[in-house]
Amino acid sequence: MATKKARRPEVDTNLNINSMMDMMTIILVFLLKSYSASDVSVAPSDNLTLPFSSAQKAPEVAVNLVIEQGQILVDGVPVLQLGRKADEESGKELASIPEDEMQGQNIGKLYDILFEKAEQAKTLGERSNNPDLAFKGRILLQVDREMPYSVLRSVMYTAGQAQFGEFKFVVYKQE
Amino acid sequence: MAVKRKAIEDPDLNLTPIMNLVTILIPFLIMAAQFVQLSVIDSTLPAIGPPTEVEPPKPDDKPPLQLSLALKGDGIVVLGADQIIYPDGAPEVAEGEKRPPTLPCKSGGVCTNVEDYDWDSLQQKLNLIKDEYPDDENVILVPASDTQYEIIVRAMDIAREDAEAGTGDGPRTLFPFVVVAGGAM
Repeated sequence: MATKKARRPEVDTNLNINSMMDMMTIILVFLLKSYSASDVSVAPSDNLTLPFSSAQKAPEVAVNLVIEQGQILVDGVPVLQLGRKADEESGKELASIPEDEMQGQNIGKLYDILFEKAEQAKTLGERSNNPDLAFKGRILLQVDREMPYSVLRSVMYTAGQAQFGEFKFVVYKQE
Repeated sequence: MAVKRKAIEDPDLNLTPIMNLVTILIPFLIMAAQFVQLSVIDSTLPAIGPPTEVEPPKPDDKPPLQLSLALKGDGIVVLGADQIIYPDGAPEVAEGEKRPPTLPCKSGGVCTNVEDYDWDSLQQKLNLIKDEYPDDENVILVPASDTQYEIIVRAMDIAREDAEAGTGDGPRTLFPFVVVAGGAM
């Protein structure tokens, strides 16, 4: 006996993606708003929390020096490990630069690297003949907010010796 | 005569190509999105800072302002503007003793955190000094060696401008050229 299979009624297979489109449009607008093509970026970590400030000036490209708890980095490359030492006056344990790294007031390793960067930038500036690329001695300092001034002072002195005299302290912009 | 009806067309718009586009755009924008805004504070080394014009002082001129802020563990010392801060004469300091802070910590004794420093009073004092020396733009910060970076940044903010004393077109500019000096006091 031939039986006829009952045909299922045809179902519309189009998925309704209207609501998904709505959501995507909103996300797109939100992301476009926070889009930024800034050249300077921070890699936040437990060891590096920048302070907040009311400064409004936008960062520009320069040599990037990071002082976080535990180490100093230049353009992302670790240069020096920081130790911890009790402060003479307050007795608090604070980050410090190991004694054997110091050459007088200078931090030896850091000076060598910064000096090399300065020379490279100068050569580049001379060859390009473009006043925008000329070496201006700018350096971006990303410093952890709990870093004591003694460390900062040594780093600033060393940078100054290596021909970097224009400091730009990177901070979070206050809303 | 029966009118032939047009077949009803499906009114659904085909959104699939737009979906494809948006799906590609979103990961790209997420990568480029910056959720924290960064800014920079300019500072120079004291030796190669903005050149100070040395002019012969006129006889009726006020003495030049050499404003310094020392950030110490027990408060802030304002140096170089004694005639404004102490109109009746500066307090006597015995020989061999350190000068007490102009603005002691709110909790007295040693400041425990950033908010413990008396920033509001410092702002007032700087406004007073700026009233007297409207053309002066330099201030030197002298932090102690254990002063935290956060405190230095806050002092720079306070010295640079006063958001509340603005005259309509933004905050009032106080001393925008902040130089961080060496030695601790």
